[in-house]
Amino acid sequence: MPQGKLYATPQAALADLQDGSTILVAGFAGYGVPHSLLAALPDSGRKNLTIVYRAGPQYEDGPYATSVIDDLVANEQVSKLVSPLPFFPGNGGAIEERWQAGQLDIEIVPMGILVERLRAGGAGIGGVFLPTPVGTRFETQKEKRTFDQGEAVLELPLKADYALVRVAAADTLGNAIYDGSARNWAPVMAMAARITVAEADRIVEPGELDPEAVISPGIFVNRIVSAG
Amino acid sequence: MPPRLDELTMARRAAAELRPGQVAALGSGLPAKLAGVLPTGSPVQLLSDGGALGYAPRDGGNSQHSSSLSGPEGDAVALGRGGSVVGLADWAAMLRGGHVDVSVIQPARVTASGDIIGWTTAATPGLFAPGRTVDLASGGGKVIAMLPHTGSDGSPNIVTESSPVADGRACCDIIITDVAVIRVEDGGLVLSEVAPGWTYNDVANITGAPLSGGDELKEISPNLDSLSSERPGKLYPDGPSAIADLFDGATVMIDGFGGPGGMAHYLLVSLREQGTKDLTIISNTIGIARIVNFGTPAGKLAIDHSVLVENGQVAKAIATYPVSPSASRPSTFELAYRRGEVELELVPQGTLAERLRAGGAGIYAFYTPTGAGTLIAEGKESRVIDGKEYILEQALTADFCLIRGHKADTLGNIVYKGTSRNFNAVMAPAARTTIVEVDEVVEAGELDPELIVTPGIYVDRLVIRPEGFSPYE
Repeated sequence: MPQGKLYATPQAALADLQDGSTILVAGFAGYGVPHSLLAALPDSGRKNLTIVYRAGPQYEDGPYATSVIDDLVANEQVSKLVSPLPFFPGNGGAIEERWQAGQLDIEIVPMGILVERLRAGGAGIGGVFLPTPVGTRFETQKEKRTFDQGEAVLELPLKADYALVRVAAADTLGNAIYDGSARNWAPVMAMAARITVAEADRIVEPGELDPEAVISPGIFVNRIVSAG
Repeated sequence: MPPRLDELTMARRAAAELRPGQVAALGSGLPAKLAGVLPTGSPVQLLSDGGALGYAPRDGGNSQHSSSLSGPEGDAVALGRGGSVVGLADWAAMLRGGHVDVSVIQPARVTASGDIIGWTTAATPGLFAPGRTVDLASGGGKVIAMLPHTGSDGSPNIVTESSPVADGRACCDIIITDVAVIRVEDGGLVLSEVAPGWTYNDVANITGAPLSGGDELKEISPNLDSLSSERPGKLYPDGPSAIADLFDGATVMIDGFGGPGGMAHYLLVSLREQGTKDLTIISNTIGIARIVNFGTPAGKLAIDHSVLVENGQVAKAIATYPVSPSASRPSTFELAYRRGEVELELVPQGTLAERLRAGGAGIYAFYTPTGAGTLIAEGKESRVIDGKEYILEQALTADFCLIRGHKADTLGNIVYKGTSRNFNAVMAPAARTTIVEVDEVVEAGELDPELIVTPGIYVDRLVIRPEGFSPYE
C-alpha cells in the first residue's frame, strides 16, 4: 500500500495502468528521462498505449527513452506515438519499421506546439491560436484565423492519463525540483496528466525544499517513487 | 573548384551576425557549432531547447550524459555568468513571443522566397522530424539558415520552387553555406559573399534559384570584432530616467496584487512626477491598497495605482478588482469611474493572468471556460469544445511594464520575494519595454540559475529602489 503519495516500486505506482492509456514521458536528449518508470511499462502487458515523448540521442550504451518505447512498439503494446522527433530517420528500429508498414500511427507535432498543447491541457484551456504552424505543413486541416497580430492556427489541448517525470528531489507532498535540463517537458506534462508519477533522486520531508525554488507544486504530482 | 569552407568558418560567419546584448537560439547540426566559436564571455546569450539560456561549451562539449545541462544536440554545456535554466514551455514562449533576436537553423533546403524544408532523408521519404526547427524558423527575429550549398549527390540545396510542405514560410533572412552568403530579400536571393577563390558564376552554377548582386561581391572573412564590445547595460540611475520615454497614451502594465506588496512604488511615484497622461493601465486592482490599508501605518497612505488616477493620468483600466471591497470607502478609480472620467474593462483574475501570458508567449487568443455563460462572455465568441463551453479571450500586450522584483543581476535576471511574484512573472514578457524596480542588483552569476523566475531576456531596464524609500506617504 502506498503511504500518502509514496509508492514502493514503479510497478506499484503504475498498477492501475489500463489498455488504451495515454502516457506522457518527459525527457530531452537523455536528460530527465524517467528510466525506472519506463522500465516498468513493458512488463505491465498493457496494450494500445498512446505515448507522447521526444526521442533521446543515439547513445551506444545505457537506456534512454527511445529504446524502451522501441521495445514497447516491438511488443505491440503501442497504437500511437505523438512526438516532435519520434526516432532518428533511417535508424529508428521497431518504431520506424512498424510505421513504414502502416502498423503504427505517428502524429508529428513541432516541439513548441506540442508543449503549448500540453500546457493548454494542463491549464484547462480549450484551444490556443498559434502563429507557428502558419504556412507550414502543420496547418493542414486546422482552423486558421486572422487576428490583429496576423494569421494563427487553432491548436487543441492535449491531456493524458499518466505523466512520467524524473525529478531531482520531491518532498512527500509531491513538491518537486529538477536538475538543469531535466526540467524540459516535465513541469508541463505534470500539469497535463490525470496521474503524474515522479521518480525522484531524493525524497525529503515537507519543508526541506525552498518554497521559492519549487518548480512543480505538489498539486501536480500524485505519486512518487525512488529513482532506481 | 577552390575548397569549400569548413564548418567552423561557417559557424564564425554566422556568429558575425550577432550583436552585443542579443539572444540567439541554436538548432542542431551546423548551428550548434556557434557555441564553440564565440569568444569566451562574449556579450550574447545562446538559448538551447535543452533549457540552457546563456550557455557555453563545456570542456569541448564531449561529456555527454555527465552534465545536467544540454545544448541543442544533447551535448553537455555549462552556463555562462548570468545564464538561467528554463523549461521547454519557456523556450517555446521566448521564440514565439518575439524575445529571441536570432535563430540559427540547418534546414535540408531553402527556397528563393526563404521557405525552409526541414530534415528529411532519402532513406525515409515522406518522413520528417521537425523537432525544434519549425519553432526556430517561425520565432527568431532574424533567421539564419546554415547548410551545405549542395547535397551529397551534388544537387542544389537552394531551390526555386516553393514546396507545398514547407516547415517555415518566408522565414529565412540569411543563408550561409560552405561557399556563399546569400541574403533573402523581397525581390529574391542576393549573393553578397563568396568563399575565397569562388566567383559569382561558380556559386550561381550550383544554386537552383536565380541570384543577383554580383557587383559588390565580398570574400567571406568572418569578423567577430563586434562581439568584443560590452553588452548594453540595463541599470538606470533612477526612476525618472528609466521611464523618460513613457509617452502620453501608452499602455502600461503595473504589477501589484491587493496590498502594497509586490508593487513598483518608486516607479509609480516617478510616473506621477512625470505627469504622462491618457494612460491605459493593465493591473490586478487599479488601486485599493490606499483605502483598505493592509497594515499601512496610521496617518499614512499606501502608494498604489491611485496616485496616477488622482493625478488625472489614467484614461482606462483593464483590471480584475477595480472597486473597493467597502461601499463606504470607494477607491479613487471608482470615484473617477462614477464621474465618467475613466473607462474600464473588467477581466476575471485568472483570465487576466492567462491573457498576459498569451501576450508574452506569442499566443494570439485562447479559449477559456472561465466566464462562459456570465456577463464576462458578452460580446465574445463562445464555443463548445469536447462538450464544454468556452469563450475566446485575446492576448494582452503593452508598451511598458513596471514591475517589482526583489533582486536582479546586471543581465536583468529577476528573483521575487514571496507572493510579490504574483502578476510580475506573467507581465514581464508581455510588454515591449519592461522596467523592474528591485532592492538590489548583483553581478551576473550571483543568482542561482535554477531559481531565476524572470530571465533577463524579458527585462529591459533595472532601477534600484532608493534606500529608505517608503511605500507609504
